[in-house]
Amino acid sequence: MSAAQRTLRVAHLYPELLNLYGDGGNILVLRSRMAWRGIACEVVECHVDDTPSFADVDIAFIGGGSDREQAIVCEKLLACRPELSSYVEDGGVLAAVCGGYQLLGHSYLMGDQRLEGLSLVDLYTDRGTPRLIGNVAIESRISPQPIVGYENHGGRTHLGDGVEPLGRVLFGHGNDGQTGEEGCLYKNVVGTYIHGPLLPKNPGVADYLIARALERRYGDATLEPLDDTAELAANKVMYDRLMGGEETE
Amino acid sequence: MGLRAGLARTAGRVCHWGLHTVLHRSASQLPGRVALAIDSQAIAHAVPKLRHGSVVVCGTNGKTTTNNVLACAIEASGAKVLCNRAGANMAAGVAAAMLPGSAADVAVMEADELSTVHILPQLRPNYLVLLNLFRDQLDRAGEIDHVIDTIVAALASSPQTTLITCGDDPLCMGVARRAMEAGTKVLTFGIAEDLGLAPDRVPEARFCQRCGAELTYEYRSYAQLGAFSCPSCDFARPTLDFTATGVSVGREGISFDVRAGQGAPTRVSAAFGGVYMVYNLLAAFAAASLMGVDGATFQKAIDTYRPANGRLQHFDVDGREVVLNLAKNPTGFNQNISLMLADNRPKAAYLVINDDYNDGKDISWIWDVDFERLAADDALTVIAGGHRANDVQVRLKYAGITARIATDVADALQQVSSADKDQPLYVLTNYSALWPAKAALERMGTKTDGGAR
Repeated sequence: MSAAQRTLRVAHLYPELLNLYGDGGNILVLRSRMAWRGIACEVVECHVDDTPSFADVDIAFIGGGSDREQAIVCEKLLACRPELSSYVEDGGVLAAVCGGYQLLGHSYLMGDQRLEGLSLVDLYTDRGTPRLIGNVAIESRISPQPIVGYENHGGRTHLGDGVEPLGRVLFGHGNDGQTGEEGCLYKNVVGTYIHGPLLPKNPGVADYLIARALERRYGDATLEPLDDTAELAANKVMYDRLMGGEETE
Repeated sequence: MGLRAGLARTAGRVCHWGLHTVLHRSASQLPGRVALAIDSQAIAHAVPKLRHGSVVVCGTNGKTTTNNVLACAIEASGAKVLCNRAGANMAAGVAAAMLPGSAADVAVMEADELSTVHILPQLRPNYLVLLNLFRDQLDRAGEIDHVIDTIVAALASSPQTTLITCGDDPLCMGVARRAMEAGTKVLTFGIAEDLGLAPDRVPEARFCQRCGAELTYEYRSYAQLGAFSCPSCDFARPTLDFTATGVSVGREGISFDVRAGQGAPTRVSAAFGGVYMVYNLLAAFAAASLMGVDGATFQKAIDTYRPANGRLQHFDVDGREVVLNLAKNPTGFNQNISLMLADNRPKAAYLVINDDYNDGKDISWIWDVDFERLAADDALTVIAGGHRANDVQVRLKYAGITARIATDVADALQQVSSADKDQPLYVLTNYSALWPAKAALERMGTKTDGGAR
């Protein structure tokens, strides 16, 4: 097994539209963490005029954009919903942040208009005031460390019965500011309001995605450990700041 | 003048005197806040004392420098100028800067983009200079579409104001087109030649502001600025009213020929800045010439102008050159990276990112900066700093750069103390980190003229 070159293919969906908050950092982190382990990483950017194919994709990533851009992306993806749905049901890894997270559900709002989502996960999004903005920390079974990041959303996302949240809110707002739940976990889909560069300070999440993809493609999720001193220090500094009362919600 | 307006002016001035003379504090905002609290139209009520009107400068990057160069140039022509030089650029800052004296010739005011909608209806300036639009502080300013809507609304509230904007920037031209349709007169400036520079990342505005098709470029100068056109509609860089050609950009500074229409060229040169500074000075030249300043006077003003407020300031600390500059968003950082790479000496960079309210608490944007370009420079040492030093360190790690962390400028200088003295240290910081760094450098070293040496 070790002799064979392992390759994973990452599909970055509409990077030119969904790039509001440094979302590209996630792809850089996936690519680097594979490279450091000798796993070949092929990144395929799916652009607005391409018809995406998920046949040989191992990890798909959807970022966040403005309302207008998000609506364009949703329309494009609705056109290939059956294929995307089969990919998800087959255990394909999909990470969706911010606006991309909202697209996973049955519907979301743009202005006062209700738009149809991809219905990949049993959830829907409406809106509340105020916008939920600020640093956030959650605990999640997919990461050995708390997951930290930044949220900025007017949407309130409601999970269907039995849909597992990504984690429980330790600091910040999460899905709706009420339930203490943040994000969603469904098969190998990870959705979260933690926007932009989710993976850099949360190497546990990055490795979870890579491990699930390896398991599906090669039947072996074993990952060589990396030196994450810098990443974990950045994680801890923010976590300590949030939990130490230096910052108000 | 009504009683309320007079009272507002007096209260503002007393407040300024108290802060400035008694407490020796900066009086750039509070007197204006006091004046506006008493008279919400305090700016409008100060307008009659301006003999020749006013100019407002806004835009994501470069407004303080452009505004101050413009004020110097108009002053050099002999006019009495009111200006918010310290960069207090919301309505209160403008109101405070309007307080002094009973008469002046011209007000030259920097305005925060979102504050234009409060400032323009009162000040009703002759010109609004819109330099550029980049994404910046999304958590505070909101998406760029909101900034565009706000400036369009500000112009609609002051119909006599002419917009002077960057014809090379599709986002600025999006504003210009909408303003023009609403009756605003528009003049544009831009660089009318291919500078042949390595293109940096285009984080936004890749799509037509009118129809959404992907824009194409004959050439780009930086970010989304360049000779753009839409392949499927008529949205394109306009015929420029003020052009820069014969552009030279180097470590020793910049120079270019500026032309108004088909007129004779005026050579403009400055001992500071990169491509972005060509745009800043071009914009300042356009506004200055429209306000009656001739080319020779403009050049004289630049020759005596010294960057302040931590914008590209040079210091000598124990024989080592230290260059301090503000870098608060991806485009600003990318331009600073270009400046550093143009300096082919071995060098060090201290990159400082804070996340105070004034900086924007969300620093996700550091992943939109092309730090990868620095990785190619083997003779570069990078040090991370600020409240988010650890995030900067992680960002650099994924760019292929191993960076240590320093607690402040003194510590960063200490960390590079073993390097030859002829190796400069570049200190790039965002807003709230700028003042402590500037104060420390002023304490530890002496200001120099940088590229002018």
